[in-house]
Amino acid sequence: MTRCTVTTGFFVLGRCGRPSVAACPQCARPVCDEHAAGPNGLCPECAAAQGYGSHDAHDPGWAGGYRRHFYQSTSSTYQDRAWYSSFDSYDRGSFERGGDHSFAEGDFDDDDTGFVDS
Amino acid sequence: MFWRKQRAAIEGFHPLHQSLIWHRSFSVSMRPAEWDALIRGLARHESVVRRRRWRLPARTRTALVPLVRVLTEDMRPDGVLSVALDLRGPKFPEKTGPRHEMPVQRPVTSMKQWFVVDPWLRLRAELRDGSVLELAVTDRIRYRRIRKRNPRGKIKVKYKTKKVLRVDATRRLAKAAAVRRPASPPPGWIVVRVKDGPRPVIRATAKIPAAADERALVEPILTVSTELFRWTPPGTGAQRRTA
Ligand SMILES: [Zn+2]
Ligand SMILES: [Zn+2]
Repeated sequence: MTRCTVTTGFFVLGRCGRPSVAACPQCARPVCDEHAAGPNGLCPECAAAQGYGSHDAHDPGWAGGYRRHFYQSTSSTYQDRAWYSSFDSYDRGSFERGGDHSFAEGDFDDDDTGFVDS
Repeated sequence: MFWRKQRAAIEGFHPLHQSLIWHRSFSVSMRPAEWDALIRGLARHESVVRRRRWRLPARTRTALVPLVRVLTEDMRPDGVLSVALDLRGPKFPEKTGPRHEMPVQRPVTSMKQWFVVDPWLRLRAELRDGSVLELAVTDRIRYRRIRKRNPRGKIKVKYKTKKVLRVDATRRLAKAAAVRRPASPPPGWIVVRVKDGPRPVIRATAKIPAAADERALVEPILTVSTELFRWTPPGTGAQRRTA
């Protein structure tokens, strides 16, 4: 079974891990039914990149869309480029070949170190 | 008649939502799904309640809601997020320190100084990597009452205030979690302390000039919190030390 590889969390990143039902038309990562529900079937990350993110924190999808902006802005506040790039490569690592250094971390394992959202 | 309808609507709100309207405060421990239900109700407030007196305190929108949204992203469904919120404002005797007479020079004839300390938010979140995040956010306001005599001998009294936001962020890591010093230190206005051990503790504190724009309140709070997570970069936060 292919799992949804959408990045979850804000500071403590993980993968969605639910069964995938489609691929994001933009980045091709496998997505579950919930994460395929964005505009044009885009995954949340691509939807946010195209400006579909919500600007209202009451919206349950807001934090996910705010996250990339936040990592970018704190990277510059901290003058720590690794902070943003570690987020970005974690996120890209979900579907890029060879980028699986974090992917292999065991997010889909059943032990308590993995962050598979249930 | 008009208000009666709105009042009846409020009585149907989530008890914590009502507490924010009537007491401008609450203290509670809940799981992410319960927080979500509360926030969905808060989102509808303005479309139902128009009366100014029954408005939600502004920091509900600018601090509570975004912080809860961000932190519950990092929690398991069974994790607990505890929040003690006091948005009554600083004007309470228990928040006001003693007044001190300060040394002065002419034309100032007297100056009294005192501080008001308003710890308006305390929060504890059980994160999904087994770490626990604690946040304390405090308004610290310095008041000065200055008495001056102008050249014509007339006495004038002036008040001056200076406000800073103090953010205290602590993260207790899971047992045997690995910490790694970030490549760069935090900006000078953030002080970090790390206690390594079987359960490492990272603490970051900052005093920030009060933002002129309250809408930007959450970003500095999360920016200080960021330091706690730079020590366990993305994708490694879950890693336990391997022997
Ligand atoms: Zn995508
Ligand atoms: Zn998913």
